[in-house]
Amino acid sequence: MDCYDVIVIGGGLLGCFAARGLARYRLRIVLLEAREDLCTGISRANTAIVYSGYDTKPGSYKSKICVDAALNFSVLCSELGVRYSQCGQLMVCSGQKGEDVLRKKLQQGQENGVRDIRLLTQKEVLVLEPHLSSNVRLGLFAPEAGTVIPWELGLAAAENAIHNGVEIRMNAKVTNIERISDGYRVYAGGTIFYTRGVINCAGLYADEILEMIQEPSIRIFPSSGDYFLLDTKASGHIRHVILHESEEKCKGLTLVPTVDGNILVGSSRIPSKEKEGFETSREGLDEIHRYITEIMPDLPMEHVIRSFGAIRPNPFYVRFDPGSGSYMPDQKRINDFIVNESEENPAFLSLIGVKTPGLTCSEALGRHVADRMAALLKAESNPEFDPKRPAPLRLNDLPMKDRIRLIKENSSYGKIVCRCRKISEGEIVDSIHMAPGAVTVDGVKRRTGSSSGRCQGSFCTQRIMEILARELYVSPDRISKDGPCSYVIGGGK
Amino acid sequence: MKSYDLVVIGGGPAGMAASLAAKQAGVAKILLAERADSLGGILNQCVHYGFGLIYFGEELTGPQYAERFSCQMLSAGIDVYTGTSAVGMNPSGAVLLSGEKCGLLEINAKAVILASGCRERPIGTLPIIGTRPSGIFTAGAAQKMINLGGYDIGNRFVILGSGDIGLIMARQLKQLGKEVLAVIEKEGKCGGLERNRINCIEKYNIPLRTRCTVTKIHGIGRIAGVTVQDLINGHESLLECDTLITSVGLIPERELAEDASAGGCLPDWLFLCGNACYVHDLVDDVTYEAEKIGQQAAHYVLNGESRKNITIPISKHEAPDSDIICIACPKACPLKKTENGYEGAACGRKDPIPSRKF
Repeated sequence: MDCYDVIVIGGGLLGCFAARGLARYRLRIVLLEAREDLCTGISRANTAIVYSGYDTKPGSYKSKICVDAALNFSVLCSELGVRYSQCGQLMVCSGQKGEDVLRKKLQQGQENGVRDIRLLTQKEVLVLEPHLSSNVRLGLFAPEAGTVIPWELGLAAAENAIHNGVEIRMNAKVTNIERISDGYRVYAGGTIFYTRGVINCAGLYADEILEMIQEPSIRIFPSSGDYFLLDTKASGHIRHVILHESEEKCKGLTLVPTVDGNILVGSSRIPSKEKEGFETSREGLDEIHRYITEIMPDLPMEHVIRSFGAIRPNPFYVRFDPGSGSYMPDQKRINDFIVNESEENPAFLSLIGVKTPGLTCSEALGRHVADRMAALLKAESNPEFDPKRPAPLRLNDLPMKDRIRLIKENSSYGKIVCRCRKISEGEIVDSIHMAPGAVTVDGVKRRTGSSSGRCQGSFCTQRIMEILARELYVSPDRISKDGPCSYVIGGGK
Repeated sequence: MKSYDLVVIGGGPAGMAASLAAKQAGVAKILLAERADSLGGILNQCVHYGFGLIYFGEELTGPQYAERFSCQMLSAGIDVYTGTSAVGMNPSGAVLLSGEKCGLLEINAKAVILASGCRERPIGTLPIIGTRPSGIFTAGAAQKMINLGGYDIGNRFVILGSGDIGLIMARQLKQLGKEVLAVIEKEGKCGGLERNRINCIEKYNIPLRTRCTVTKIHGIGRIAGVTVQDLINGHESLLECDTLITSVGLIPERELAEDASAGGCLPDWLFLCGNACYVHDLVDDVTYEAEKIGQQAAHYVLNGESRKNITIPISKHEAPDSDIICIACPKACPLKKTENGYEGAACGRKDPIPSRKF
């Protein structure tokens, strides 16, 4: 029988950190992930920004944890062997409405205790970012902000959780949950699990999971955002995370110099009905182009190598509307992070609709629900917990003599598979055999950066498919690009 | 650190012809690095006929054309490193190689010929909306999957772009018994050679839809279809398919040259050759030019003379003047064809480096 103390549902950033937080206690823990890999939902496509904490309302739970999380982010990343670029964040505006917003954010930031936050004149802004247009009137600079690759962080947390005894089950989509006398019975991936407590981090589906055991109270209404990714040839064009406060009633432009040397350009916001698919839209991409013309006309858009869509989980309280026979959202948006907990279902904690700055706060939130669960279950702390996770080998980041030595020890580190990113076969094999290991072409991409360069995998996808097939002992036609129904070859069948 | 007179990067038609010509011209120590496990480059996956009509006066397949040169490489006294990628090149002329057999190896070279070919423009560079499912291949990647991997990649195909590889793939898929719904081309006429248009699609009754483009990708998991827009009347229609092949442009792969070009100008010791210089229509032209470039590099190695007085030969099959730019520096001046080569670089250099605009 599959019996646990705590089941974590969902292997996104939050689920991975909740699992890692739980591993600090003497508990039997399993994380159930619906897909074949972790961090494939909201955690996969977002702005990748670590916020300093001036965006949130003073006194809110969000602002309290965001400021601390940002300050501790580099410590967290070095503990987990994750690359973090604390490049600072520059918010700019080109009109009166924007100026008012920036001044308000400065005040908020100071109240929240954000360090070294200050307003910059147009001249100072243009010194920091010479490619910004002279339309820019004012800037708000926050040096304690930066950028991280979200899935790199989530996978590192998961690897560390596994190292500390957490089990992870992939392809275990939760289909039903029943309340039993001393806990819950969870049906997932053809197996029945028994557990004392549940932490629901199911991302876009967290509302649906909660509704398996109680009446709807919060629901997620997704909106989508679009992004462009620029080749590393454009690297150096910007040096900070740049946010543009638009004069219109929309999200404005975001420019992020990623840790891999790309520039991420986003993001528009349009309502979306779908929770799957991650589509890009014409309106969204056009809007980004329009904003670029306004604030950075010389951004080298000829270096775009990819556009992609993302989904944001907007939470709303809902009420049953007898007229329509369905649950309708309250007008008021939920702006704070909410840990849903109810008396009728003890030890069932849900994180629903965690969005910006969810990436920044993922560790803190995961830790928070884990601590709460441990208290509810009266768990003892685990003295053997080891917070360190060694960074995976990234040959390009190593000094010459180490690279030469490593290739001498294992010649497959010398064989370049992804020519754009210069990723070796050895690194790809490592990514398959780590725990949690890659089983798809995109899984290898998330772990190594392969096929994310300027050819976008046209040269290396076949090789990576063949290496996956060889290492996993399956036929190449069973290797998928990105999970269910996405086989690389054979027409997808 | 090992030293060579000449390092040639790339063992396709350009790299092989250039290194053989340099050897013949008297260069003693030559190293050729090829990232694949065998010589031949993209020719190996081009199993169709149509190569060598000009250079050899007979029609060969890609592998046959490659063999004419690779068998000479064996006895030419050139050090050939297969399975070896060039991963770095610095402005002083040191090349960093990485391979299973040679490890990480820094080579000092008097001259370097970069013959690393080109890459296909990925679909992400196009203004196409929708999902990002599996089943989208560049034509070259699909060709490699089918001809070298022996894989069955799909059943119902749409081909975006009527470049030569797209046309050749359309024919091959049809021969394999697959459905090829249409070749979609945004211009008013076929993008590839007329010969290929007739032999590859007209003969096989594959519809060529000119002045049309793909605007949206559908499907979660695997591609399920594409929205095709008629660019004249804006009308959109859905084509259901399980595979999309893109043939929307080739980009010279010469990032190593950019790394080595301090200040934007190509150093004297570095020579670009084949599709890494600009994209050619015919491999025969590549061979002719590569031989000349091999001789130029030899001249530089043996006499220490820069190329200042040598012009790059031009081919009969090049793109119209307006499409050719100089890539010696980032100014990318438009070039004009003259009897001896090209002119028009704003810096006044007599040896502009022509490339097709992309």
